[in-house]
Parts: sequence; structure tokens; C-alpha cells
Amino acid sequence: MDAMDDHDDNDGAGYAWEKGFERTWEGVEEDEHGNIKTREEGQRRNRRVRRRVGGESIKRGMIRYLYLAIDLSKTMADGDMRPSRLAVTLRIVQDFVTNYFDQNPLSQLGILVTREGRAEKITELSGNPKAHMEALTKDSDTKGEASLQNLLEMACTSLRAVPEYGNREVVVIYSSLSTCDPGDIHETIAKLKTHKVRASVVGLGAEMFVLRRLTEETSGDYSIAGDENHYRESLMAQCTPPPTPPGREGAMFADLVRMGFPAETQDVFPSLGYSGNRQELSVSGYSCPRCKTKTSELPSECVICALPLVSSPHLARSYHHLFPVPQFDEIPAAAPAAAAAAASAGSAGGMGSGAGAGRATEEESASSSYCAGCLRDLSGLPRYRCPECRSAFCLDCDMYVHDSLHNCPGCC
Amino acid sequence: MRLDLDGLDVFFPYDFMYPEQYDYMLELKRSLDAKGHCLLEMPTGTGKTVCLISLITSYQFAHPEVGKLIYCTRTVPEMMKCIEELKRVIGYRKDQLGPEGEKVLALCLSSRRNLCIHERVIEESDREAVDGACRDMTASWVRKKAEAGGGGELCEFFEGYSANGSDAAMPNGIYSLDDLKEFGKEKGWCPYFLARHIINHANVLVYNYQYMLDPKVAGMVSRELEAESVVVFDEAHNIDNVCTEALSVDLDKRSLDAASRCLGKISSKVAEMKRTDQARLNAEYQRLVSGLADSGLGRASGGVAGSAAGAGGAAAAGGGGGGAAGAGASAGSGGGATEVAAAADAIPANPALPADILQEAVPGNIRRAEHFVSFMRKVVEHFKTRVRVQSVESETPLAFVHRMQQVTALERKPLKFAYSRLNSLLRTLEVTGLDDFRPLVDVADFATLVGTYTEGFAVVIEPTGSVVPGVYEPVMRLACLDASLAIRPVFERFASVVITSGTLSPLDLYPKLLGFSPVVRTALSMSTVRKCICPLVVTRGSDQLPMSTKFDQRDDPSVVRNYGALMIELAAIVPDGVVCFFTSYSYMEMIVSKWDELGVLKRVLEKKLIFIETKDVVETTLALDNFKRACDCGRGAIFLSVARGKVAEGIDFDRHYGRAVVMFGVPFQYTLSHVLRARLEYLRSTFQIREGDFLTFDAIRQCAQCIGRVIRSKTDYGLVILADSRYNRHDKRSKLPGWVLQFLDETHLNMSADNAAAMARMFLKDMAQPLDPLRLKGTMLDTKKVAARNREKTGKEQRNASELNPSAAAAAGGGGAVDGMEIE
Ligand code: SF4
Ligand SMILES: [Zn+2]
Ligand SMILES: [Zn+2]
Ligand SMILES: [Zn+2]
Repeated sequence: MDAMDDHDDNDGAGYAWEKGFERTWEGVEEDEHGNIKTREEGQRRNRRVRRRVGGESIKRGMIRYLYLAIDLSKTMADGDMRPSRLAVTLRIVQDFVTNYFDQNPLSQLGILVTREGRAEKITELSGNPKAHMEALTKDSDTKGEASLQNLLEMACTSLRAVPEYGNREVVVIYSSLSTCDPGDIHETIAKLKTHKVRASVVGLGAEMFVLRRLTEETSGDYSIAGDENHYRESLMAQCTPPPTPPGREGAMFADLVRMGFPAETQDVFPSLGYSGNRQELSVSGYSCPRCKTKTSELPSECVICALPLVSSPHLARSYHHLFPVPQFDEIPAAAPAAAAAAASAGSAGGMGSGAGAGRATEEESASSSYCAGCLRDLSGLPRYRCPECRSAFCLDCDMYVHDSLHNCPGCC
Repeated sequence: MRLDLDGLDVFFPYDFMYPEQYDYMLELKRSLDAKGHCLLEMPTGTGKTVCLISLITSYQFAHPEVGKLIYCTRTVPEMMKCIEELKRVIGYRKDQLGPEGEKVLALCLSSRRNLCIHERVIEESDREAVDGACRDMTASWVRKKAEAGGGGELCEFFEGYSANGSDAAMPNGIYSLDDLKEFGKEKGWCPYFLARHIINHANVLVYNYQYMLDPKVAGMVSRELEAESVVVFDEAHNIDNVCTEALSVDLDKRSLDAASRCLGKISSKVAEMKRTDQARLNAEYQRLVSGLADSGLGRASGGVAGSAAGAGGAAAAGGGGGGAAGAGASAGSGGGATEVAAAADAIPANPALPADILQEAVPGNIRRAEHFVSFMRKVVEHFKTRVRVQSVESETPLAFVHRMQQVTALERKPLKFAYSRLNSLLRTLEVTGLDDFRPLVDVADFATLVGTYTEGFAVVIEPTGSVVPGVYEPVMRLACLDASLAIRPVFERFASVVITSGTLSPLDLYPKLLGFSPVVRTALSMSTVRKCICPLVVTRGSDQLPMSTKFDQRDDPSVVRNYGALMIELAAIVPDGVVCFFTSYSYMEMIVSKWDELGVLKRVLEKKLIFIETKDVVETTLALDNFKRACDCGRGAIFLSVARGKVAEGIDFDRHYGRAVVMFGVPFQYTLSHVLRARLEYLRSTFQIREGDFLTFDAIRQCAQCIGRVIRSKTDYGLVILADSRYNRHDKRSKLPGWVLQFLDETHLNMSADNAAAMARMFLKDMAQPLDPLRLKGTMLDTKKVAARNREKTGKEQRNASELNPSAAAAAGGGGAVDGMEIE
């Protein structure tokens, strides 16, 4: 019995070099033209494809209530990511929380974890990014098995109480490949569905049927992280508000939401203000328009009167979800010879009539060999063209425009 | 998609097809054109069934002279699947052609247990009991008595059927078992007898292998089918075993004792009938004298060609003694009624193949009932003395009969008639509960076969039975060694016989085993979107010690420990369901108990639940149920089962139910078995198949079968762990079917357990990434691509033809030049 336990402990803290070798060379493949491309690039193109599936003019909820549910079972101590799944997860969750409030200033977040077959609430729903991370880093021991059902039940009970106009969401980070449940998990999934809670999962390791089922039933996303980058991307994707589920549009407009736009204060001497749930001394800060409590960061929520505090740029930024940049058309890399031929044909046309010349320039700009974003040479690379202004971009710029900038530089 | 396949208008119900489906249909068409047999291997999960049905029905449609499509399956679920696809194909044809395209009569045929709609009868537990209960109400004498006012319960559905159904034509349509029952209920006709009657009018027939291969059943059912028909054996990788089993009989001490008791019962019945109804016994005697015997009618039409032309209704319904007795009983009623009555009475025909049945009257010394009873008593007593052995005896049927003649002074010839004579007697005695007489019927079966065949069989008597090793439980087994015996009539009679499965490699062995020469033999590989199968040959544990179930190594503690470590590792990295196959029950039991001692099970249980296949069907079904539930709810589970077991043959572990399959060892047959020894010996001397070749072939096909359990479609994926150092050897490995080999790169060979685990993790991660639907479509053929392929094919053929001639000419010219030079 004791010997057994010993063994388990060793298992958890195994050395990195015992965990099998990393085959970085296997990430490299050759494409049809003999160009070397890495697995990573393939993954990014996949991501582009996935995003496309989302479609264009979708109604998205701007106010979200999201629980981040993290599996803290023993499997989190695995070393298949360096230095451990847990360390990587904490790092990525940190960024996620920041990014989430950046993109959804009007929304709230809470953190749940599961370990030893139980679920625990680390933080309640609130708009304070700092408070969440503090609580999580303080209490991130991994232990025992995960229980998906308990986790979802807790999320469901907590989300049932939130106002109708908000999106109810759970994002599960699941590291185990099994779950120890007290009852029938499919009932819990049905319950989530009736309460219109959307569950998305970022899995580590391999695909699990229940998780697939869960996400399909609640129209969430399910992705399995291939490596750290993919992990980060998959989680960050959850920062974008999901489409409003059909049948809930009506509720969206029913309520007005009260929020505060605090004025920035500059004190001569440092004074006490809230940063997360802790008080600290600072010179600058924002004071709550209702109760005048000083808060040092935005967006957040007033610790005293629970008023959401935002600045107007935040509010403006969350509009981008409502007016998304159109998808760019993918133009596969032309063989160099063909591209040259097209170019020469274009210039030949240019010497002809005026109308022809107009068309030719347009043609030329489409096949012009530099990215409109970063001026990289595009010959031999696939390009992505904005359907409105017809500027061509490279894959990197395409991703940047859609994921971070939310404006097409060509159009404006 | 409606496509033109080499001049044939094919109705394919989907918009896209895989390239291998195209090739498959093309090969199939070639063999139909040539009116020959074919052997086709196509990987599981590539839509084999729909190809078969779509091509053959289209062929029938274009060539009405082609008879039926007779589709033989192994199980009822497979039957359902076939009917489902058929409905889809015909539905599509209707969309294309209107009502004209819908003119098809297709039906399933199964035993009463699956077709009966009588409320009380279907409550019966097993097949024999249902048959018996039904006969109690439908036998001609029962009905006659009831008609005469003698009481007794009749089945309303049978009455309904015999009043109207037997003449009425069935409306066109496709009838699954449930549809038949539905139809029967609606009309008040018995679906079982209706189906039996209607088969001769059907275009498509779906039934079990037995109906085609077991002479007892085939004589009753399949005799009338026209020779132009196309016969398909799907999932036919074990067809040789089905064939040999159809002609094998087991007798043990218990069943022989039971047979004695049966004889007691019969002789008292005979005595009673002598008192009450002497006339009936006399009538039977007269029939036998005039050679009209039970087998008389059967034999008259018994030729392979089944020339039933003049034999009338009774023979058409086919069944040995049933025909005669039925005809006698209901003499005077119309032809249709005769047929009905005969069908109701029909019990299995002769166990020997039609061509081997003597075309003579029953010999004189067993014509009288009491003589026959005492004859049978002698046979049973002799068998009883033979079965009491202390060591294994194995001899030829000839030697067996010879010894029997010496000891009992019985002749050889009456032995051949034992089975049909017994049937006739049971009928005369108006026995309905054939179930009670099963042991005696088995003895008669044994006697008939051993008397009829001198070649291709062996009598093996073993002191310990197969059930519990070590316990004295002698068994006498008449084992058929030659698979070609049972299937030969099928090959000879039908124009095209299609043998197909996911695992038929190596292809050249089946024609030898089954004794036929296919015009087409092809193995198709799998076109893939991604590498959805990941076979890993694990030869060593993490400690580099070899793993194998080889006889001298299997008990080695290091092997047991390494297998355990592999199991623990896999339980941790594979999500949801894992299926493991062991080489035998005893090995599985041994390993599981050792794993328990070593604490392996406890560690596996932390990750997954464990379920075990047992010899008990009910228990195993329950275990499977719970296994699937554990996979569904995310707990994850491992199913431990046995290659060649029920699970390995018929249960699918698709999707999350089987994310990995593990073969612990190479599933060789138990080579010390005397029946196997005899078969190997026979194969070597008759077909020149070497012992080792056959054993390896047999082991690898079982293995491939187990692998095929986890991949049921192209979007599915699964890990395949072959854990035995012998899989690394080229002679073993290369016998795996092409669709496994195509994924087995060099890097997947000779791995240690930890390497394999690392590889497996990567594979599972890769497969979890979403499958781009565009890429999936890209590998498939649409109408345009099919047309292009057609052109390519015909173009190539023409080119080949034109190339041949000039090159021949050139060669001739060259030769001439050389000659010329020499002359100069
Ligand atoms: S006649 Fe048909 S319905 Fe009636 S008992 Fe027999 S099988 Fe069942
Ligand atoms: Zn306030
Ligand atoms: Zn760029
Ligand atoms: Zn633009």
C-alpha cells in the first residue's frame, strides 16, 4: 500500500527527460513545391479555417458572465509541457484574464477548480482581473482526480442567478482523460442546456467523448491543445464573445446596464486605494462616481458598491465584436512562372485603353507582391485579400488584423 | 450519384464515393460479366455493403436474366444494416427513375425466433423452444385433429396464412425482419411461413450463412433458388470454419445417455401407436418399401441443380420426410395447401450434401419402426463404449466404421440412412417437440455423416472436454477437415459467388481452402485523409526485455510485468475506451490474476474501469453494456477479451468505445488440439498447405479482425498496439491486410513500451484536431471525377492494346534483323 503511494508520487514529479523525447523535426513538413513548412503554420491556417466557420454578421453578446473552470487534478503535474502543465496553465490563464477584461470590459469572470473529486469556488463572479489571479496563484495545488460533473453543477448553480441580458458561459480547462462523478453527467449537460449555459473546453492530451458531447450540446467550442502555443491560442479564442444563442436576442435589449465612468485622480501624497481586493498606497487612481472609493485600475468593479467601472475607450473597443472585419479571401500561392505571366499580362493591358488600364491596376495590386500590412514580399506565398479595399495581406497580418486590430488598414 | 461504370448504369445513393469504392465496384462488375466467382478484400469502414448492393442491384436492373441477389450475413445486426443500405439504394433509384425504379421485392429470412408474432410463442427463451412451440400448433396432424373437432390450440397467424397468404403475392418492397412482422400482423399472416414461401419470388434475399452452407438447412430453404443468382458472403474471413462446422458433430457422454432415454421414449411411443393406430405405422412402412421414403422425395429433386420441376408442391417446400408425411396427411387438398402443410412440418433435411446422398430406398432392416429403434440402440451403445477412452484417439471415418462393424455386426449402409429414417419416424409418431429428441438426432447425424464420408473427416475422441480442463468428460467429435466440401455445391451451382471481407489476406489461401478458382481476386487499400490508424509493434518493455506470448516465454515474470506496465501506461494516456485481446481464456485468466498480485489492476483502476469477457454470453453482454456506459460518461474503461471470442468477431468498438486496441500476443490456435492436428495434416497432404503457413495465416487474420473492430469509418481513429516481439518478424507482419500495412512505417516497428507511449500521445493529440471537411471531400470522387476516372481507365486500356501490337511487331522485326545479320 505504502509502496504503491510512493510510486505514485514519483510518477507525478517525473523528470523531464523521462517523458519521451521531443521530436521537433517531426513538426517540419514539405509542401508540394518543396518549401519547408512547419506544423505550426499548418495549425495557424487551420485556425483561420475554424474562424471562418463562425460566419460574418452574427449577433454577439457584449455582457458575459463566465466561469473559468480549471482541472487541478494530479494530471496537471504532468511534464509533457515545460516545466509542467500547471505552470503553463497559470501563465496562460493570467494572460487570458487580462485579455478577457480588455476585450469585454462590461463582463464578469469567476474561477472554479476541481480536485480530489470535488469542485471548489476560488473566486465569485466579479470584474476585478487582479483579484482572480491572486486567488488562483495562492491556491493552485494539484491533487487527486477531477470531477467534471461537480464542476459543471457548481458553475450551473452559480450562473443561474445572473441577469437575463448576459451570456452565461463556462470555459473548462481539462487536463484529465477521465472524470469521477457522483451521478449521471448527461443530466448535468442537459441542465446546462436548459439554463442556456454555453460550455467550451480546452483539453490537454486527447479527445474525450463527454467533453465533445458537452460542447456540442451547449454549442461551445472544443479544442485539444497540441502544444503551448496552440493552448494559448485556444484559450484566447474564448475572449471573443460567442454568438448570442437563438431565442435569447429578445432578452438582450430588455435591460439597461448601470455602469460608472470614473474620473482619474492625481493625489499629491499616496493614498489608500483598491487594487483587486487589496488596499495599497498609490498616487494616481480612479474614483468611483457613486461612492468615491479609489481604485487603481480599469476596467474593474468598485469593491464597495459593485458598480462596473470602465473608461470610454474600453466601451468603444467592445464594439468591434458588433462590426467585425470581413473575412479575407484566400488566394493560394501561384507558381512563380504563372505570377510573372499574370504580371506581364497586366502591364500589357496597361498600355491599352484607359478603361483597360483601370482594371489592370486593380489586377496588379491584387497580384502585387508586397503585403499591404508589413510590406513583406508575397511571391510564392498564399495571400489574403480584403473584399472591400482589395489589399492583399500575408497570413501574419491577416491574423493580426482580425484578432487584435479589428480594423482593416486598407479600408481606413 | 448515377454513374456510368464501364457501360453499366449504376445507382449509387451518395453524392460522393471513395476511390476504393469505385475500384471495388469495377472489380465486382468484371466478375459478374465473366459469370465467375470473386474474392475481394476492402478495409472496414469504407462502405463495402453499399457498393455490393448498389452494383449488384444495378446489374440486375440492366440484365434481368440475372437471378436473385442472395446476401449472406453472419448476424442479425449485419442483416439489418444490409437492408438499410438496400432501402437507400432503391430509394435513390426511385428518385431517378420514378416508380419503375422501385420494383424490387427484397426480404430477410431468419428463424422463427426472430420472425414469430405469436404472443405466447415469442416468450420462449431459445430458438429450439420457439420452433417446438410453433410446431405444436402448426404440424399437419395437429391441425387435422383440430379441424376434426379434436381440440388443441392452433396459431391464428398460420391459419390466416394458409387460408390466403400462400397464394397471394407479396407487394413489392423491401422488408426487414421488423417490416415482415409488421406486414404479418396487419394481414394476420405468419411472417415466418410467408417469408419462406415468398423467397422464390424475391429479387433480393438476405439471410444467414447457415441457410446456404449447412446442408440440413440449405436443403430446406435454398434448394429452389435459380442458378443465375449472385451469392454474396459478407464478412467472410472465417467462412472456412463455418463450412467445417456445418459438417461436424460433437457427442459427449451426457448427450449419449440422453439419446438412450430418447430411444426409450420412442419405443414406448411405437408400442402405443401399435395399439392405437397400427395403420399409420403400416403406411409408413409401405412408403419406405416403395422407396417413396422421406428421403425419397428429397432425393428425387435432390440433385444439385434442384430439378424440382415435377416434384410438385411437397417437394418444393422441400423437406425430407416433411414432404412425404405432409403430402400423405393432407392428401386431397389443393396443391397450395399441400405446400403449406409441408412447410409447417419441414424439419431439417439430410446433414450430408445433396450430391452425396444415396439415390436408393431405405434398406430393409431398418424399415420397420421397432427394427430401426433397436438398430439405433446398438449404435448408441457402441458410441458409448467408444467414448469411454483414457487417452486421445484419432482415426479416419473408415477405420471407425470398420471397427463398429466388427464389434456390433451392423452394416455400413443403414448408417447412411439413420438421419432421414429417424426424421420419418418422428413424423409418423407425430412428435412436435423435436427439442426433446435433439440428442438422438445428433447421434443419427453423426452416424449418417460417418457412414457417408470416408475422406476429409476425422473422428477424434478425447477424454477431457473443452469446458473445464483436467476433468474427465470424454467427447467424441466427428470433425470435418475440408472446408471445400460444404461450399462446393454453392460454387458449382451459382454463377457468381462473391467472397468479401475486410481481412482476406493473403488472398491466395482462400481459393485453396475452399476449392474454387476466382476470376477476380483483389485487395484494395484505403484512401486516407489522415493517418487514422496508428499501428505500433511493441517488442520490448521499458526495461528492454522482450515481450511475447511464445510458449517458452509467456509465464516469464518479466513478460507479465511488462505487459502490466504497458497496460498502466495506456490507461493513463488513452481517453475513453480501450479494448485488449488475449490469445486465450486461460492466458487471460492467468495474466489477470498475476496483475492483481502485482498491483497492476489497482493502478489501472485509478484511471479506468475494467471489464472482462467470459464464456457466459449473458454475463459478457452485461459487461459490454457497462463498458459502453463507462465510456459514455467519461469514466473510461478497458475491455479485456479474447481473440476468436464472441466479442472479437461481432462487436464493434467504434469511436470513443475503442480509441485503442491492444493485442497481447499473437493469437495462434491451440496447436495441441487433436482436431487441429488432423486438419493441418489433411491440409498438408491434400492441398500442400504447410502447417506453419496455415497457422500464421489463421493467427494474423484473427489479429486483423480484432484490429478492424475499432475502425468503423474514415472519420474514426484508433491506436493499434501489437504487443509481441513476433509481430516484428517479416513473415508475420507481411500477412496483415494492406490497410494496416499502409500505416505501418519502419518507425513503428520494434518499439519499446515507452517509445510507443510517446508516439501514442502524439497520435492522439493529432487526431483530436478538427478534420477539415474540405480535405475529406477532396479525397472523394464526385460525378466529375468519376467521369474522369472512367476516361482514364478506358484510355489506358486502349493504349495498352495499341502498345502491345507495335511492340510485338518491333520485337518480331528486331528478331528478323538479328537473324538477317547472322545470315550475313
Ligand atoms: S405459425 Fe408463425 S406466428 Fe404462429 S407460432 Fe409459428 S412462427 Fe409464430
Ligand atoms: Zn463604488
Ligand atoms: Zn504582412
Ligand atoms: Zn480593407
